Amino acid sequence: MKDFKGTREAFATAITELTEKNPEVMFISSDSLKAMRAVPYAEAFPANYIECGIAEQGTVNVAAGLSTCGIIPFVATYAGFLTMRACEQMRTFIAYPNLNVKFVGINAGLIGGEREGVTHQFYEDVSILSAIPNFTIFLPADGNQTYHAVKEAAAVNGPVYIRAGSGREVDVYDKETPFSLDGVRILKDYGRDTVIFASGFVLDRALEAAEILKKEGVSVTVADINIINGKDPSKIISLIRSAGKIVTVEDQSINGGMGSYIQALVCEHDPKIVRKLGLKTFAESGPAKELADAYGYSPEGIAELVRA
Amino acid sequence: METKQLQKIADTLRYEAVRMVWEGKDGHPGPALSIADIVTTLYFDEMNIDPDNPGWEDRDRFILSKGHACPIIYAALNEKGYFTEKIEHFNLRALHSDFQGHPVSQKTVGIDSTSGSLGNGIAIGAGMAIAGKFHKKDYRVFVVVGDGELQEGVVWEGINVASSHKLDNLIVFVDRNGWQSGGSVEDVIGGNNVAQRIGAFGWHTIEIDGNDIDQIKKALAEANSVKGKPIAIVADCIKGKGLDFMENDNAWHKGVPTDEQFRQAGIQLKGDAK
Repeated sequence: MKDFKGTREAFATAITELTEKNPEVMFISSDSLKAMRAVPYAEAFPANYIECGIAEQGTVNVAAGLSTCGIIPFVATYAGFLTMRACEQMRTFIAYPNLNVKFVGINAGLIGGEREGVTHQFYEDVSILSAIPNFTIFLPADGNQTYHAVKEAAAVNGPVYIRAGSGREVDVYDKETPFSLDGVRILKDYGRDTVIFASGFVLDRALEAAEILKKEGVSVTVADINIINGKDPSKIISLIRSAGKIVTVEDQSINGGMGSYIQALVCEHDPKIVRKLGLKTFAESGPAKELADAYGYSPEGIAELVRA
Repeated sequence: METKQLQKIADTLRYEAVRMVWEGKDGHPGPALSIADIVTTLYFDEMNIDPDNPGWEDRDRFILSKGHACPIIYAALNEKGYFTEKIEHFNLRALHSDFQGHPVSQKTVGIDSTSGSLGNGIAIGAGMAIAGKFHKKDYRVFVVVGDGELQEGVVWEGINVASSHKLDNLIVFVDRNGWQSGGSVEDVIGGNNVAQRIGAFGWHTIEIDGNDIDQIKKALAEANSVKGKPIAIVADCIKGKGLDFMENDNAWHKGVPTDEQFRQAGIQLKGDAK
């Protein structure tokens, strides 16, 4: 495995390795070649790099057409321009016919979009795709997990969406840990007073919150939810059953994302209190760290939600 | 195939399209009849296809971007022998029918792409055409779009991509019948100079009478000789062509013939006794 840093380089590294093994893999770009750090990919595989210009709806349609002919297209660009502007194409022309097309959405969340401001911060993508049948939704927590998620996506037969960030995420995982297909992985297990379910680039903050709480004598488990709406949520359900209280943390809208998914599982299998941390308003420009702290995602903010 | 024979098939397809709308009591007969001659020429003369092997990877592809006209495609697939048994009752738009309100690739054998949400066919076709070049295959991709449909922005995204990728294996028919759901194209958007607009994107354009099979054949021969550019055949068609009560009457954009009108269709398209 080549060295890489952050989710974008992780994508470029993974798709390069996939294409080396299978020449039917392609990168479909909406002028996102540089954004995806994929210039070396295009140089190595010029015929596998399909440029469609700044035109996400057309890009998704091109991927649909390619897919019907046996190509495995990876459409990778900004999360919101995919899931909002090209939402209909992702639904009607990819998900409905269940085509084997993969999507990687970057700049997802506050932390992904950060200084660009609201136009480039996308915290609705998971909610939107959760409403569409046939989509497998991967939520890698850092660059290392994104690399494995992209590899894993190629093994799924059908549409996959991988939520990625800006490239400045904090690494939580080492390079070797695979992307769990259980949809959940316990990263810290200090006890089950509260289980914190975290998704994506706030995982490091949830882990810090657990340390703060440990010092106070509150025993917390932190679990990474890396797949939502998966076929077999049994591992998540058993963790829910073992929890006193449940807190969810995601850099996404509070409606329709991972928190809502967990909440529904809790209601159905073992009703108890769930406190959700997610976005309720539009945000603003700012450095990722400061922005996340300001909107409630500081380790202290998360700890406070556990104490509440 | 001889033009006379093709004209006969076109009228059969028209009759079948009207029959399935009349039976199903819902659908878009006017837009279907408009393109009957184009669809007939493609399916019965031009396209390299095999009804016994609908997924054949070397086949020519067809996308009905103006998916609401699907009764004519369902009729063409039926006449061509795509279904295990010839369909007598299509049950168009009925619950559990293979023949959905708009084409669905995974429900109807022979449909290469789901379509009907307007504007998307050209970019999907461009994807198939790019795949053809990548796989070094010589199949062509045919797309039929409406003129009203060209108001959708994504159409021009597809037109742009097809140009930049030099897709001379992509042939788009524009059914320029001058009408759209809400009225005339000119009234709705102020202009319908299709060839000029698409030509400006670097496409090879051909203008024909889209209800004249000889002209369709000639245009296809020209299209097949073009190198390095996608081709748009701008076809002036008459919406509702073939039925005197339907021609150029936009009330038939969507509508169901009465029993008497259906009887008239038999007389005008099938030569039934008056």
